[in-house]
Amino acid sequence: MAGRCPLVEDSFSRLASQSNVYGLAALAGGEGPGGLLAAALKGKVIYFRYHDLRQRLRPVARELQFTYIPVDAEIVSIDSFPKAPPQRGLVVGITFIKDSGDKASPFLNIYCDYEPGSEYDLDSVAQSCLNLELQFTPFQLCHAEVCVGDKPEVVFLLSGNDPSVHLYRENEGSHQFEEQPVQHLFPELQELPSNVLWLDVLNIPGAGQRLTAFGCQNGYVRVARVDRADRAVLQSWSIQQDGPVSKVLLFPLPATAAARDDAAAVAAPSYSVLVASAIELSVVYRDVLTRGLTDQVILPASDQYDSVLCALVTDVDFDGVREILLGTYGQELLCYKYDADAATNRPGEFRLVWTRRFPSPLLSMLYADLTADGLRELAVVCLKGLHVLQHGLETTARRLLERLRREAERRNRRGALEGE
Amino acid sequence: MRSVSYVQRVALDFGGSLFPHAICLGDADNDALNELVVGDTNGKLYVYKNDDSKPWAVRSCQGMLTCVGVGDVCNKGKNLVVAVSAEGWFHLFDLTSPTSKHPDASGHHELAAAEEQKPAFKQHIPANTKVMLISDIDGDGKCELVVGYTDRVVRAFRWEDSSENSDHVSGQLLLLKKWLLEGQVDSLSVNPGRDGSPEMMVSQPGCGYAILLCTWVSEQQATTEGRDTSAPSSEAPIRDVILHQTSGRIHNKNVSTHLIGSIGRGCSSENSGSGLFALCTLDGTLKLMEGADKLLWSVQVDHQLFALEKLDVTGNGHEEVIACAWDGQTYIIDHNRTVARFQADENVSAFCAGLYACKGGSNSPCLVYVSFNQKIYIYWDVQLERMESTNLLKILDCDPEFGSLLQQLGVERGDVSAVKDLIHKTLYFPEKHQQSSPSQCQDPAGADSSAHYAVIQDPL
Repeated sequence: MAGRCPLVEDSFSRLASQSNVYGLAALAGGEGPGGLLAAALKGKVIYFRYHDLRQRLRPVARELQFTYIPVDAEIVSIDSFPKAPPQRGLVVGITFIKDSGDKASPFLNIYCDYEPGSEYDLDSVAQSCLNLELQFTPFQLCHAEVCVGDKPEVVFLLSGNDPSVHLYRENEGSHQFEEQPVQHLFPELQELPSNVLWLDVLNIPGAGQRLTAFGCQNGYVRVARVDRADRAVLQSWSIQQDGPVSKVLLFPLPATAAARDDAAAVAAPSYSVLVASAIELSVVYRDVLTRGLTDQVILPASDQYDSVLCALVTDVDFDGVREILLGTYGQELLCYKYDADAATNRPGEFRLVWTRRFPSPLLSMLYADLTADGLRELAVVCLKGLHVLQHGLETTARRLLERLRREAERRNRRGALEGE
Repeated sequence: MRSVSYVQRVALDFGGSLFPHAICLGDADNDALNELVVGDTNGKLYVYKNDDSKPWAVRSCQGMLTCVGVGDVCNKGKNLVVAVSAEGWFHLFDLTSPTSKHPDASGHHELAAAEEQKPAFKQHIPANTKVMLISDIDGDGKCELVVGYTDRVVRAFRWEDSSENSDHVSGQLLLLKKWLLEGQVDSLSVNPGRDGSPEMMVSQPGCGYAILLCTWVSEQQATTEGRDTSAPSSEAPIRDVILHQTSGRIHNKNVSTHLIGSIGRGCSSENSGSGLFALCTLDGTLKLMEGADKLLWSVQVDHQLFALEKLDVTGNGHEEVIACAWDGQTYIIDHNRTVARFQADENVSAFCAGLYACKGGSNSPCLVYVSFNQKIYIYWDVQLERMESTNLLKILDCDPEFGSLLQQLGVERGDVSAVKDLIHKTLYFPEKHQQSSPSQCQDPAGADSSAHYAVIQDPL
């Protein structure tokens, strides 16, 4: 049976109104510990971080007043990214629908401060707003790094009900974000059969290529391999599932024994895609680069706790291999581990290793270092608020010391050998 | 202020309405596991066990139950359940399951059940009861029963046993003393005094308290020593109530005040002097004091605090102060004034905290909320890892080995970002970190970190 969650809750911040699956954004870049933005439906954005004051660490959640969000607005999605170096600054995007009774009008607000010194100061970022009216109902707002003429640049990608994905890019001349045709930079995001609920972009390191995956409301999933420089779709796979796809995530998975015989699989890491479904079992398609969407592995019991609304693929037990975390409407957090036995030729499978119950449905998750110690925390936005879960510090400290001890021994031995 | 959420909760059915002191946790059936005892305004006494939503035992009493308690009132080495009604009926129940059971006596079952419903003992004491305490208040090692009244009177009783047979409850309550106070008494508690002996404390309005002196002890001594005790008492009554105000200013003189004493401070305390006690008021003042003159901390909150409890939620032997407000907001405060908040989902009519055996057959710290819609919510195993948030760096700061390891690995201890970086790499990229080739470490995304995990070999 599933075990106990190794993370314990450190703090809980209540939201004034409920959030949604697009309501959590990590704040990266700048100095000091990282923070989070959690958006609640009724136009409120909570800025959460740990405050280190007089040697005491305390969680602080305060409302951040983003300008130009009317009182009757309902926030749909929020996202944030630091600009690609050498440019400096934090960019926050918020989509909302202003419902003044007769007609609902959607907007995208982009916040970004150009004043030197305050590019990372959230309070001043929140005051400098670019207001864009939208012609469609917004869904997920995310960002992706692209290369334009050898210069890295980060752009916003916003899916809408038209149905298409819209791209917002900073105009170098005017220092303003503007919508640009998505097909120039993302040719794989054309001819969408349905509204995109979740989009994930992963740049393959060192290959000059990227993988793009998205899942739609009607169950359509597409994964594409794209050459970043030529902006040409090299390969594309798609599959039709039953029911809305709530989340797709691309991640590297340790190669299976069968795949490892393949010389190509060893040379390039094997990428897999997690497809979380609102009504079906969530599944992983392994090794999409060589097998496309054919090698399906199920996540057992992932349909037992109502719809899966959020997911993360990250290493939460420090063994260097990623686990899959699923958050469900049924108030349960599920952790799956990949068992691939290299000795036997048995294909690997996912095993439910632990579950944790929450007081309300889980909507979105993030794994980030909030306490500024190198150890990451798991932030979970539930219907009623933001939970921050921390690893058991004593056990983690023991584990860390053990590894450092081994590393020190290794260095000493090496030092002794070199001395001879 | 740090907030926490608790998930492990059971809901018990409770149809009645109750007085705020008609609820307690204790080992009612002497099985070393605690039960929840609740008395309602119709005179029904309910005992809940485990996570069962239905009561394990129901008993009928006379009158509106204002206070219930579990304790060894009769000093027989065995807990009994006490229920006192506003009308002054004192009931004793022995809920210990009989050692010999008669499973086949089904014909007599109903009769036996009806017989079992009756209290083991019933006596009338003065009416208008409000609060109750079962504890040793005079330091003789035996429990007394102390009852606070709505007419500002506190009475102490002692059980006078008249039975030869230890199984049967027979005897009566004898009045030991009656104290008359100036203000309403909302809680009764016992706290170790300066010499370590128990002191009877009662709360007084306006964040005050009074110490009630057990004058019968000195009277008894005087009688045994053969002195004439009638002479001084005929002149003037001996001062038996010592009133303390904890602060001279700002307080609303009439604000309802609760108090709890004997707050555990772990094994470190070498029985030195006064115990810790806490006070709370309906206008949101919380205080922790050590003896009459040492204020350890004071906290002002904007909630109406109506119940005060103590509970060790961190498992370190120090009991935290738990205060609950009508809207379910619960404050958990440790001896260093670190606060953690918990919001129960509903408004509460009564609250208690303590150990309860909810699941797994063992006692765990629990918070008990009586809602206004026929439910009692028990949040069980409400342990917190620690009261104050911390991080790995602060934990490792206390570890001397960490310092020497950093030195061996050539990382400056004062360079926080380098230490942080080392921790991050060691935890999340274990095999890469251990490989010495620097070219492989320069993967900013860390995307392929796990691809080659099976071919790691020690460089030697």
